[in-house]
Amino acid sequence: MKKGMTTVLAGMLAISLLGACGNSSSDNSANGGSSSGKVEIEFFQNKAEAKTSFDKLVAKFNEANPNIVVKQVNPPDAETLLKTRAAKKDIPDVVGIGATDTFKSLATGSLFEDLSNDPVVKNVQPAYADMLKNYTANSQLNGVPFAANANGVIYNKAMFTEVGAEVPKTWDEFIAVAEKFKAAGKNAFYLTLKDSWTTLPAFNALSSSIVGIDFYTQRHAGSAKFTGTINEVVQKQLQLTEYAQKDIYGKTYNDGNVAFAKGEAAMYLQGVWAIPEIQKANPSIDLGVFVLPATNDPSKNKLVTGVDTLLAISKTTKHKEEAKKFIDFMMQPENVKQYITEQKAFPTITGVTQDDKTVEGLKEAFTAGNLVDFSDHYIPAAMKIDTLLQEFLQKKDVDAFVSKLDTEWDKVADRK
Amino acid sequence: MAKRRIAYYLMTIPALFLFFAFHTFPALQGIFYSFTNWDGFSDGYAFVGFKNFINVFKDENVLNSYFFTFKYAIAATILINVISLLIALGLNAKIKAKNFFRGVYFLPNVLGVLIVGYIFNYLFSNAFTVWGAKLGSDFLSQNILGNPDWAWVGIVIVGVWQGIAYNTILYLAGLQTIPADLYEASSLDGASKWKEFWSITFPMLASFFTINMVLAMKGGLMIFDQIVALTGGGPGRSTQSIALLIYQGGFTGGEFAYQSANAVIYFIVIVAISLFQIKVLQRREMDL
Repeated sequence: MKKGMTTVLAGMLAISLLGACGNSSSDNSANGGSSSGKVEIEFFQNKAEAKTSFDKLVAKFNEANPNIVVKQVNPPDAETLLKTRAAKKDIPDVVGIGATDTFKSLATGSLFEDLSNDPVVKNVQPAYADMLKNYTANSQLNGVPFAANANGVIYNKAMFTEVGAEVPKTWDEFIAVAEKFKAAGKNAFYLTLKDSWTTLPAFNALSSSIVGIDFYTQRHAGSAKFTGTINEVVQKQLQLTEYAQKDIYGKTYNDGNVAFAKGEAAMYLQGVWAIPEIQKANPSIDLGVFVLPATNDPSKNKLVTGVDTLLAISKTTKHKEEAKKFIDFMMQPENVKQYITEQKAFPTITGVTQDDKTVEGLKEAFTAGNLVDFSDHYIPAAMKIDTLLQEFLQKKDVDAFVSKLDTEWDKVADRK
Repeated sequence: MAKRRIAYYLMTIPALFLFFAFHTFPALQGIFYSFTNWDGFSDGYAFVGFKNFINVFKDENVLNSYFFTFKYAIAATILINVISLLIALGLNAKIKAKNFFRGVYFLPNVLGVLIVGYIFNYLFSNAFTVWGAKLGSDFLSQNILGNPDWAWVGIVIVGVWQGIAYNTILYLAGLQTIPADLYEASSLDGASKWKEFWSITFPMLASFFTINMVLAMKGGLMIFDQIVALTGGGPGRSTQSIALLIYQGGFTGGEFAYQSANAVIYFIVIVAISLFQIKVLQRREMDL
């Protein structure tokens, strides 16, 4: 292990050295700014899929602002890199990441500017702003939501027509549809549980509708327990595995995208982020998306959606004004529209809509505001809920699993 | 003479500095952080004494990863040494295209671990399963990496496949040090091939056997890359090695200090095992 540790630390050191170089060069250009008049801003973001989309927007911004040069940085394993840079107090000027546990810890560590009184927030849908506020105990808004995602059930329209199935509105209908495919000798779902994170879309959809986000805040406060509360959620998730293909634990997310594109299953429990990948494997596939009906009460079945990308400003940046200018530019409706159209994402500001045909099944939930956040964002990362779920689905012991969730949670809380 | 000494210093000091900066200092830092509650990125941290160490002993995930790591390391060490010794004997015999085969058998050592891992990952999930289905076996038509009881075997297969290359080279080098006249004498005495191996070849290889056992064991105990490429520690935590647990918990899980304590304990364990191995095996060398 010593070797591994050293490599990691050496890597951190190297990164910090590189970071230092980056800083000094941008300082130079800033100081030299008096002669050339240009300020350089680092825009660090973690979505490899969106690199070209951001490139276009950045180019547009640079053209409109001759005094500012924004540079996009999109390294692999960006979240881990961001954490190591944070350890060295070298935060990029503008950070674009998802509302993940990484953002939560960095925001709680008060590394980002508070933007709650910034005029740019006025256009933001309150639901998304609240999601980000919920992460920090101090009710600050440490980032502006830029684009949102959604997590439902992707389905193959042709296969639905073939067996005469309709989009289900309740859990019973959902299972009935799955039975229909099973009876027809087809896979209702394609599960890719070799990648542990792919247990999460189904878990989030079920948990966020059935027990809600409040449960997790109560669990943090110690006034609720998994035992007795979450049984229905995990029971239902286990039930879904009965309608999937053979060897569900041997297939990966990439296998799943290809297999689903080839029509090997009728439904795919994934977020909209999988759609571009599926269409890459089969451009002519006719897809739709619906909200996973977690309960038999349609009004309770909410769409899980979260902030896919938020824009935050480093507290230590030397170019606060320019960074703000860049964020203002990004949040303009036409730029948001351009980005969500290319990325099949959803808008976080009012007045912009996602009109892509593939995702119109989710429109109703968006207009009605029937939305809920991802449950797993409220579970401590050190618990590795995805791994626990992966193990549970193989062992199939509901009672043992829910009590394990409690002991693991307490253990992690104890170590704080 | 003095000039010469300066030259030595000039050569040694930069190396010493680099070793200290990139090896000793980070190790010391890790030991330091293991007594704090630092999460890896926050502003401040506090000293918590031995709390992290006590928690390590209470964590069944740590125990589980120790169990997996040792199971893997022992299986891999035995298999690597048996197979690479056999290959080395074969490559040392009078065969055609000897150098070509030596090159071929060394190839896995040159390939990147992660690349090999990803290739095997694809084979396990999409190729071997098809062959298994053709054989009509229900078990073989499923990806063993997705099976909590068998995933570790998949990792052993890849680890051994790649590990034998280096140890084969060491055994080959060992075989060349054995004087040919020993074999001539034994053949005059009419010794069988089997007797020849146990009485001449193996004893003469004793020191190479020691170093190969220690290296293979050390490599096995540090298993990391193969798992990242093959299973990511899953299914569940069934193939989570100690190194992987420290990395995942420390960076993704934001428990830097806690996993530093885990790393410090593991460092002590590895040193102890290596010393023990060298001591036992060297005594055996003397006996032979």
